[in-house]
Amino acid sequence: MKITQHATDTTLTLALNGELDASSSVLLDTELSKPEILRTQKVLIDCQQLNYISSAGLGVFISHLQTFQDANVKLVFFNMQEKVRNVFEILGLDSLMTIVPSEADATAV
Amino acid sequence: MAVLRKPFSLLSVAVLLSWLALLAAALLYAHPGLGGVTISPPAGLILILQALFTAVVFLYERKLPERLRGVDFIGLLQRLLLGPALLAVASVGLHQLLLVVLPGMAGSVLHTIFYTLNVALFVGLLARTNYAWRALVLFRGSERLRRQWVAFEVLLGAILLLRLLPYAPPIGLSAAVLGVLAAFGAYLSGRQKWVAYLNRRQKMEAVLLQLAIIGVMSIFVAYFLYTKPAFRLVGPAPQNAFLLLNAFFAGFYALMGLLITLFNLPTAGVFEQKREEILSMQRLTQLIQRGQTTAEVYQMFFDSAIQTTSADAAWLHIEATDEEDHYDLYYQLPAHQGSTIRSTLAEFNLGNLEYFNNDLSGGSFGRLQLPFGSLMVMPLSSSKRQYGNIYLLQELTQAFDRESLSILQTFASQTVLSIENLQLIQASMRTQRVQDELKIASAVQDSLIPKNLPIDNWFEISSYAVAATEVGGDFYDFLHLPGRRLAVLIGDVSGKGVTAAFHVAQMKGIFHALMQENPLARNEREKYPVPSQFMTQANDALGRCLEKSAFITASLYIIDYEHGGFVFARAGHCHTLYYHSIKEEVSYFQTPGLGLGIIRHDGYEKHIKNQFYDYNPGDVMVIYTDGIVEARNAAQDEYGEERLQQMLENSYYLDADHIKAHILADLHEFTKGQPMHDDQTLLVIKFRSAQPEAGL
Repeated sequence: MKITQHATDTTLTLALNGELDASSSVLLDTELSKPEILRTQKVLIDCQQLNYISSAGLGVFISHLQTFQDANVKLVFFNMQEKVRNVFEILGLDSLMTIVPSEADATAV
Repeated sequence: MAVLRKPFSLLSVAVLLSWLALLAAALLYAHPGLGGVTISPPAGLILILQALFTAVVFLYERKLPERLRGVDFIGLLQRLLLGPALLAVASVGLHQLLLVVLPGMAGSVLHTIFYTLNVALFVGLLARTNYAWRALVLFRGSERLRRQWVAFEVLLGAILLLRLLPYAPPIGLSAAVLGVLAAFGAYLSGRQKWVAYLNRRQKMEAVLLQLAIIGVMSIFVAYFLYTKPAFRLVGPAPQNAFLLLNAFFAGFYALMGLLITLFNLPTAGVFEQKREEILSMQRLTQLIQRGQTTAEVYQMFFDSAIQTTSADAAWLHIEATDEEDHYDLYYQLPAHQGSTIRSTLAEFNLGNLEYFNNDLSGGSFGRLQLPFGSLMVMPLSSSKRQYGNIYLLQELTQAFDRESLSILQTFASQTVLSIENLQLIQASMRTQRVQDELKIASAVQDSLIPKNLPIDNWFEISSYAVAATEVGGDFYDFLHLPGRRLAVLIGDVSGKGVTAAFHVAQMKGIFHALMQENPLARNEREKYPVPSQFMTQANDALGRCLEKSAFITASLYIIDYEHGGFVFARAGHCHTLYYHSIKEEVSYFQTPGLGLGIIRHDGYEKHIKNQFYDYNPGDVMVIYTDGIVEARNAAQDEYGEERLQQMLENSYYLDADHIKAHILADLHEFTKGQPMHDDQTLLVIKFRSAQPEAGL
């Protein structure tokens, strides 16, 4: 699992590369737990290279969902592969999180 | 009596008879005309009889069982000295005493009898000594040495036979033969391996015993020399060559043994010290195996080190770690002196090095004014950790050397090994305990899985559940409700291990608690919660105890087989696979629904829906956990919903057990050789047309 960061004044983009399982989700959790993240307006997750997400990986997003909402930070996923999107949908997370097709859509949110 | 026992009885009789014959011949020879017998035997007959007697005695002694018991060398020498030697000396002494007391005895019959008896005792002593030495020479000896000994015996026997010939060899030849034999005897006398097995006290005893044996031999030689000119009993030199040679060998061996033992006496202390070191090492090693505490191992090391180095004072200092306090042992050393030594060493960067100083009067140590002359320091360390140091002190200067340093080093490494072994044992015991507890957890969880599936003639149920680790996060359960209804719950707790297992138990508790009849219900429909209500209430209950990143997916089905319909809600769980017999079609129920524990405030009910469906006989419902559809093959592809759907399309017409078997066979084929990553649960429910009850 590799996480690449790209930050602008208002947006933080995290590109996930590889499989997000129990061990790699710790890395992601460290990134999302940084206090400065709550000062941005939007956190964009680029899922183009994300091949697999385990329940531990989903748990990381779930655990930060409430904090982001309270701090008025938008969490947006884009470029999601079909089978990963399926996992989000089965769990019903698509009704809580914003999942859009492209980066352009994501910046527009 | 050993003498009467076979196979020695014949030989012992022969000994007695040959001696009696010798006695008779000697009497007739020395006192012609005794008892009216006028025949005087020729001198050669006495020689033959004497040789015969000697041969028989040596054969007799040779056949006796092994004299040496284990390594009891002192016992062997004692038995030799206190037995035949003492008897022979007593007899010689008595003879000499009688000669003094009774002046007329010389030349009498009694004198001849005594003399012949003493010859017999001496021959017996020589034979006994000869074979005692054999036991010592051959102790731990090689096969070659054994053969050499046999050759020695044969040569001795040949000398004995030579005496029987009337031929008297020239002096030069007999001297050469005797010289060769004497050299052979001297060579064999060099075999003294047994001396190494004696401790200091035993060596002292051996010296005294060997001195005594040499003494006995000299008494006899003096006795024979003294009596020789007076009587016609002892013939020319070759006659007694055998006895003298044997006496020479016996005496020489004793002398060699004596000298070797004497030379060994100063080293006996070193041997014993080595022995003590080996014993300490053994005790140290045994302590590990008995699983003692580290404190005991340190104490053992401390005592052994003081003992083997003869230290006058000592200090063992083990440094403190995060878990343990520092640990110190003192022996006749005030703590402040120990710390000054330690800080002085640290000044010179010698804090944790092997070190010895045999003159503490000068330099930095001189300024400390210690009442000691020598110091030795040995660190206890392994690649993992620096444990501490042992400080040993002696009042003498020049007390320690490289040798003592290396012994101490061996002790120190053995100690560190013991300590680390102990830590390993303790760690493995902790792991064992955790594993035992996991086994208990596994057993408890196993008891939560329904053992008896609901049986009714309206449906068939078949189930399969395997956990990837000892305790799993998958669960399913059944509950019969009044009015021919059945509640079926399936679910999956995120994460694995004990935490997941705990939430499984909790979820089951919630299921059984919520599916109770509500006594305040106003109508039949409100008596039991519908699935969406159940999920909302479960979400509420779980929200208070699940950790932030954990969630649970679940589906609850309430099947009303009286009316042929069911209602279910899917809380983020895998979609239900269904075969519709009317349409002859397999599809997934696509219903929305959010997992439990994801949102923990009000408003969950907006994210969960009930789905109603009227089933037909022949319909098949397949419910499962993600461990089934996310199982991977060698290429890391997932099994997937589509392949599962195909399996049901191929097998919907079978009964529930066979549908399940068909799906599992394909799944196992797919994942062949791959480890199981997640728990797998699969339930197959097949609805049947109502079978009329028997007799109706």
